[in-house]
Amino acid sequence: MPQPHSSGYFRTDYADDWRLLQTRGQRGAAAVGLVLACVFPLVASAFLLDLANQVLIAVVGAVALMLLTGYAGQVSLGHAGLMAAGAFTTGILARETGAPFWIALPASGAVGALIGFLFGLPSLRLRGLYLAVSTLALHFIVIHAGQEYETRRGLSSGVVIDPPSLFGAELVDPRLWYAALFVCAGAAVLFALNLLRSRTGRAWRALHGREPVAEALGIPVAGAKVSAFVIASTLTAMSGSLFAYYRGFVSSEAFSLFLTIQYVAMIIIGGMGSILGAVLGAAFVTLFPYLIEMALAQLPGGASMSSLVFAVNYAAFGLVMILFLLFEPQGLVGIWHRLRNWFLLWPFRQRPLK
Amino acid sequence: MSAPAPLLRIDQIEVAYHRVITALQGVSVDVHAGTIVAILGTNGAGKTTTLRAVSGFIGLDDARVTSGRIVFEGEAIENQPPHRITTRGIVLVPERDKVFPNLTVAENLEATVTRPGSDRRGLIDAVWELFPALTRLKRRTAGLLSGGERQMLAIGSALVCGPRLLLVDELSQGLAPRIVDDIADRLRQVRERMGVSVLLVEQNAELALSMADHGYIMENGRIVLDGTPARLREHADVQEFYLGGTGERRSYREVKQYRRSRRWFG
Repeated sequence: MPQPHSSGYFRTDYADDWRLLQTRGQRGAAAVGLVLACVFPLVASAFLLDLANQVLIAVVGAVALMLLTGYAGQVSLGHAGLMAAGAFTTGILARETGAPFWIALPASGAVGALIGFLFGLPSLRLRGLYLAVSTLALHFIVIHAGQEYETRRGLSSGVVIDPPSLFGAELVDPRLWYAALFVCAGAAVLFALNLLRSRTGRAWRALHGREPVAEALGIPVAGAKVSAFVIASTLTAMSGSLFAYYRGFVSSEAFSLFLTIQYVAMIIIGGMGSILGAVLGAAFVTLFPYLIEMALAQLPGGASMSSLVFAVNYAAFGLVMILFLLFEPQGLVGIWHRLRNWFLLWPFRQRPLK
Repeated sequence: MSAPAPLLRIDQIEVAYHRVITALQGVSVDVHAGTIVAILGTNGAGKTTTLRAVSGFIGLDDARVTSGRIVFEGEAIENQPPHRITTRGIVLVPERDKVFPNLTVAENLEATVTRPGSDRRGLIDAVWELFPALTRLKRRTAGLLSGGERQMLAIGSALVCGPRLLLVDELSQGLAPRIVDDIADRLRQVRERMGVSVLLVEQNAELALSMADHGYIMENGRIVLDGTPARLREHADVQEFYLGGTGERRSYREVKQYRRSRRWFG
């Protein structure tokens, strides 16, 4: 969705439409953001770094789900299952064969691609709720397979993985982790943005809009749907692999259906059909429980409420979801666009046409 | 007859839905390169089915061409998936739901797949030039367009595919007469400037006959009459049933006469 620019910028070439950073303002903001991201680990506490790392892992998963659901319009409830598939592939490879990071990560992606292909096939016949239910099967099959592995190998509490080593450095320091995950999340975001500018991305958005028209205008709809599942699943499984490495531990408990719901919440709260939305949503949903906890601690008699934290968290999460669906269906991105347009147009009140 | 081979030849096709319901029974239509051909007929006569058979869309509705052939540029194309047909150079402009409502006008044009060997940029520029009204709406979401604007956009997107033949289903439906005239003009320009032939299905007989070089009339899944617009206009049945003529009143049974009268023009 093209957004209004501040005045003085003109597109003089078709290629301008597809440039990632179109204006000086955007280039400047990107540069400042990059500098802040580099300075952050030097000043942040270990706790904040851990939060940032969790957000970065969630960004990879949320971007993947955004490609599939927000752009290609294919509903999936198998997200936690796919992450589990990636995490278990990494766990099993590292545990059984001692495979290094550079083998386990792509292998997880490959497993994700295979599962994505298999569970993308129903999308050729099913849509909407029915498709969602068929992807739910994926979740239960993968979790069941993971549990089988755990019990057969006598690892009922989970699979422990050694920290990976990259370029000779073992990833234990949260700062190093931050750097590695920042590169991964950045790569995922750039990959997604680039894909969306390409023929594949245009085909996804087209079939989201109207499948018969896409077919009439020469887009191979079946291929585009399956490719959406394969690419999103690869990325999801890789985020699961990163998650496994970061925790140093894989357990089927970690991948409940609630995780799927959290990811769906990320793309809805962030704003459907926007990569920036996936990033904002990932940050919001990941940080939200910590914010609630801090807020509770500030209340008088907070200590006595510590047993309630879980319940309050669930309730607040549900409440926030409902509020977003009712009052801000465009999500955090919608709020950001309104704010920015307000400053762009100030002192006028005219609303730009969509 | 030593006329050059037509661009599209629909040769005695039969179409069956769900393997049992026959919708077309031996329909033959020729479209020569650079012409506009119209198919007229009442509701349910099989006009749209004919277009969907050519464009491959019947496959999505569990229907097939069960006999006969559809030959385009010398190659048989019946029962192929729609996107294959499109990349061969036949593009359908559907009757309803013809644009991507979630994309802007410019993005709608960009979402198409252009036939290999065509100049995509040139085609997009040609569309902007053909429809100045769309140029002003470039960044408007297509779901917010009016009916006429949607029709222009649908024809525009179809043109970006680089077609040799456009299949237009119900050009005039739901549009104001003035807009219909304007769009009809543009279609004639498309034929002249870009050399695109048009197969048009239309309820509005007056419009169809004014645009077409050749017309076919369909009843009950068959072609009952065909000829140049001038000859069709002279035909008593066409006047009576399609042009609202004031001839003597006949019973509907006499529609059968169409089938006989085909021999007159043969």
